[in-house]
Amino acid sequence: MTFSISTTEDGLTRLAIEGELDAVSVSDLRGDLEKLLARQPARVDIDLSRLRMVDSSGVGALVSLYKRVRAQGGSVVVSGLRDQPLAIFRLLRLDRVMVGAEVAPTTPAPKSTTSNN
Amino acid sequence: MQVVSAVGEAFNNIVLHGYEGRDDGTIEMEIRTRPERISIEMRDYGSSFDPTTVPPPDFDSLPESGLGLFIIRSFMNISYAPGRPNVLTLTKTLDTQMPDEVHSDDPTEGAP
Repeated sequence: MTFSISTTEDGLTRLAIEGELDAVSVSDLRGDLEKLLARQPARVDIDLSRLRMVDSSGVGALVSLYKRVRAQGGSVVVSGLRDQPLAIFRLLRLDRVMVGAEVAPTTPAPKSTTSNN
Repeated sequence: MQVVSAVGEAFNNIVLHGYEGRDDGTIEMEIRTRPERISIEMRDYGSSFDPTTVPPPDFDSLPESGLGLFIIRSFMNISYAPGRPNVLTLTKTLDTQMPDEVHSDDPTEGAP
């Protein structure tokens, strides 16, 4: 598992995670997530387009991040889910909560109705 | 994919809970395959924990734990016999009706 965190001047933080996020690798991420939270970001975009596998520990860390950012008044949007991670997010009903409308792989949304920005 | 996820979760549960507080422990795995069925038996000598008695998580509260067991039970049939060893058996029948399968044909069904 590798990850990158970048922040823009307008408060947007981007977290990209690649590879396998599981009970072992998630410990590599936790310290940096704490630092991320300490900056109280207005918005965190989580790019999982290169995430190949996730387990419940990995999901738990992302849910924790989501809840804590929201508790600070910020927002979190997950994008790029596919394959196994997408199946897990759907199973755990997180796709309805954490995933941005732009990646919902169902009916394409009409232009004028679902802008979430 | 479902079998890999379920077995991984079960393995982690044994390490994290069955062998909690220990640096070592044994997990024996026996995999049996037939054309229409795969069965994985996992035996451990740690604390007994019957996963079949745990209620499903409350998804409305965005739980951060208890998800692994739900993943296992959604993807495979499960049986458990406590003892020495504890024996956890995960079974998946392929391409036939699964009595407890969570169907994901339309995951947006019922979404608010």
